[in-house]
Amino acid sequence: MKRKMLSVLLCAALVVVMATGCGGSDKKEEGGKSSKGETSEVVGDVNGDGKIMCGYISKNIVDPFHAPINDYAKKTFDALKKDGTIDDWTGILDGETDANKQIDRADECIAKNCDYVIILPAEASSSDAAVTKLTDAGIKVIVVNSKTDSTDDVAMAYVGPDDVKAGEMLAQWVIDNVSDGGKYAHCQGVIGNSAQIQRGEGIENLMKDNDKFESVGDFPCEWQADKAANVATDMMNQYGDDLKAIICDNDDMSSAAQKACNDAGRSDIVCVGVDGNENPLQMVKDGEMGATVLQDGPAQVEGAIDLIKKALKGEETEKEVMIPFVLITKDNVDEYLK
Amino acid sequence: MAKEKEKILGMDGDKFRMFMGKYGIGVILVLMMVFISFMEPSFRSASNMINVATQVSINAMIAYGMCLAITTEGIDLSVGAQLALVSCILGQLISNKGWSIPLAILAAVLVSTLWGVINGLLISKFNMFPFVVTLSTQLIIRGLAQLISGGQAIPITDAAFKRIYSTKIAAVPFPILVLILVTVLMYLLLHWTKLGRYIFAVGDNMNAAIASGVSVIKTKTAVYAISGFLAGIAGVIFTAKTASAQSNIGIGYETDAVAACVLGGTSFAGGVATIPGVLMGIFIIGFIYNGMNLIGIDSYYQSMTKGAVIIGAVLLDMVMNKKTN
Repeated sequence: MKRKMLSVLLCAALVVVMATGCGGSDKKEEGGKSSKGETSEVVGDVNGDGKIMCGYISKNIVDPFHAPINDYAKKTFDALKKDGTIDDWTGILDGETDANKQIDRADECIAKNCDYVIILPAEASSSDAAVTKLTDAGIKVIVVNSKTDSTDDVAMAYVGPDDVKAGEMLAQWVIDNVSDGGKYAHCQGVIGNSAQIQRGEGIENLMKDNDKFESVGDFPCEWQADKAANVATDMMNQYGDDLKAIICDNDDMSSAAQKACNDAGRSDIVCVGVDGNENPLQMVKDGEMGATVLQDGPAQVEGAIDLIKKALKGEETEKEVMIPFVLITKDNVDEYLK
Repeated sequence: MAKEKEKILGMDGDKFRMFMGKYGIGVILVLMMVFISFMEPSFRSASNMINVATQVSINAMIAYGMCLAITTEGIDLSVGAQLALVSCILGQLISNKGWSIPLAILAAVLVSTLWGVINGLLISKFNMFPFVVTLSTQLIIRGLAQLISGGQAIPITDAAFKRIYSTKIAAVPFPILVLILVTVLMYLLLHWTKLGRYIFAVGDNMNAAIASGVSVIKTKTAVYAISGFLAGIAGVIFTAKTASAQSNIGIGYETDAVAACVLGGTSFAGGVATIPGVLMGIFIIGFIYNGMNLIGIDSYYQSMTKGAVIIGAVLLDMVMNKKTN
């Protein structure tokens, strides 16, 4: 009996799929034709289908740095949808820090007829295919946080941090706080990532002309806290009291390095990094670490969404928006620690 | 209408039972498609279907290799790293050494196949656990990829190479054609050739297979070599898609491949697998990603949903099989 029921169900399901499949494709074509004929009445409606659809491709949904960015985007887009500025948005699409997956998510934005897509690239060169795929489909793309190779040529805008400046802020903090100079180590992010390259460049800018400081090496730590902690313990072993500072490309690493130093009784070592994640901020508040350089992630998405709002009002939009970094010390940490 | 159908099924009851036992997962696939198209009409557009088929082509290559490995009571965890190695070899040869594209692809796929052979020999000749062998070679292979690329991303700007992913032949993207071709070849290999029967025999009962004169070494080596070869093909498609060679790609890709195999009715006890089943498993995984994004399910719930769907699908499949047997 059950087998029969199941078989009937299966047949019914098949028929439905075929029917919906045919119906769907017919409707799609009609829709496409009619919309091409008319001129759009909605300002800023890029594809002219009378609806404003926005897409959001995240870098990932797990990093402490990206979580508040995604939350901010979700809150803002939901509000825009509620007040009728946009018709709908895709929700947070998970890029899984994987260019391949980001390209797949771009396909989905195209399938959903997006007008504007915000993307936080996973990689400078391999995520570029996601950007070009979207722009080839006529979608206006705003690249946020780090540039892909052809961002300057094809994207509507880039909103992000000035990472060279961040690197310089890191170096400046060390120069200001290690008065006698000495040896320092540099923990790098994933090699080839634009943030890693530019922050390194900023550090170099100040350190190469400074005779008081000597680098003991650049260590690829792939943004990972435990690897930076290992570098800290290794370098303390190797250089002992000569080691004065550890500069890290992000503050997950600098907080771990500082913790390793403090645990080894070397709280005099100055560790500093970029991002402003919760854990490092707490350490600054508790006096366990001197400072961290905050990258205001939500402000970057805010900048990107502001550009979309402007475009929807028919206003001119900037091609590049730089969001400044903030140096966080004990004095101002309470403003940023939620 | 319903009565007529019942009659037909009544006549072909045995055949139907066998079909359901093998391809019950197809019901789940169809139900899923109906559900998603109901929730989000843009899902059933032809262009979206083509998108999904193109997207799953990478996982499909890996999953077919994985399916063979699992059928011989093994597993191939090195496939994700193989993607990275192939990508880095392609990047170096095409962008930095100026090799012609076909030659570079040939070299890269040869290397990944060779690693498959090494996996196979270690597993069969020295009787090592496949899990341990491929877990270790995975590290070596990824290390090699990092060595070759120097840890840097190598952009591949050659337009002809990028076309491997984007070119269309009669409106069908090239990766789909590869997918169709490989599916047919794998079907023939597993279900129609001597090697296919040996693979089932080795997985089902190795001692019986040895007693019947099947060379376990040859069979298993062939299995892992094919897995390596297919991972190589997947690596080529992947690299053409992202137009960049990187050593950190493909991390965790073996899990989606294993999931597709399991959904497709491949048994971890060995000796049971069907290529159409695995293909359906591959599409179920693809539709989970695509469907949830189109419907707009919060990404925080997506991996939970994915896990639940896999368990649910396999459970449903087992329940149905029990009933029909």
